[in-house]
Amino acid sequence: MVSNVMPERNNEGFLEDAQEWTEGVAAAIAAEDEVDLSEKHWEIIRFLRSFYKEHEMSPPSNRLFVKAVKEALGEEKGNSIYLMQLFPGTPAKTACRIAGLPRPTNCL
Amino acid sequence: MTDIQTLHILNKSPEHPRANRCMEMMAAGDGLLLTGSGVLLLATGQLPDASKVFALAPDVDARGLGHIAGNAISVDFTEMVTLTLEAQKVISW
Amino acid sequence: MSTLIMIDQPPYGAWTGREALDMAFSLAAFDQPASLLFTGAGVNWLRQSQDAGGIGQKTVEKNLSAAPIFGIEAILADRASCKSYGLEESSLIDGVTLVNNDAALLSEYDHTAFAG
Repeated sequence: MVSNVMPERNNEGFLEDAQEWTEGVAAAIAAEDEVDLSEKHWEIIRFLRSFYKEHEMSPPSNRLFVKAVKEALGEEKGNSIYLMQLFPGTPAKTACRIAGLPRPTNCL
Repeated sequence: MTDIQTLHILNKSPEHPRANRCMEMMAAGDGLLLTGSGVLLLATGQLPDASKVFALAPDVDARGLGHIAGNAISVDFTEMVTLTLEAQKVISW
Repeated sequence: MSTLIMIDQPPYGAWTGREALDMAFSLAAFDQPASLLFTGAGVNWLRQSQDAGGIGQKTVEKNLSAAPIFGIEAILADRASCKSYGLEESSLIDGVTLVNNDAALLSEYDHTAFAG
């Protein structure tokens, strides 16, 4: 990790600016949720980062997050049980928070 | 920048009833400044010929119209302010 | 039940179009068949090479490109509206089908709803 400085975040812990994200930031945010990032997590995080770059949005809801993962990485990973095991709570929210992306708009 | 009698600032799309009213009201020597959805007038090719037409560049770029913006004089925010100050009268549609 | 969501508002000027897109995505999330029809000034959503960074917004063209991933069935555009805004098929984003916005088209859907 180059820097220990945490970029500015909103009241729910999402980065204000997706550009300020680093892998170190991801690990620090994950630690708050007691998630230890493995290669399985990084695969989803990289997918979300590229999705955001291409579409300028986070998947808006948990269901659409699962759909988008399924489309990109197949049924084995694009299912809610797999994603819930990796990202506890609401997987779309937890994963987007760790990936430094805006909060999914339709997640309560 | 220019001698403009009345500057018409249009931020409504060509479908909006007010866009038609604006076109009807334009007189020779008037200027037309397109902002917001108003810049879509550039895509229709139906610009008033008797007037100087200006378009706000960030709004043109947002809508992917940079390639046809040549029909209008491109202005940035500062130039837009200058235009409104120099015109005798301004109508914001 | 199939739903057709009509967007006849231009992009960026108001939030109604984005709300309609959100509605379509929500239908798709629950596997309800949904299509989008852009008509009138709404066809300007579909022009290539938009860059909304200068007005501090997200580019709708990029948002819209997520539609097939989420399971939106079709992105339709009214042929006559495209013509009046100088939109050739080559200047439209990928995956758009040109149609005529008429009674025959609407009769193919159980429910048609306008944005805004």
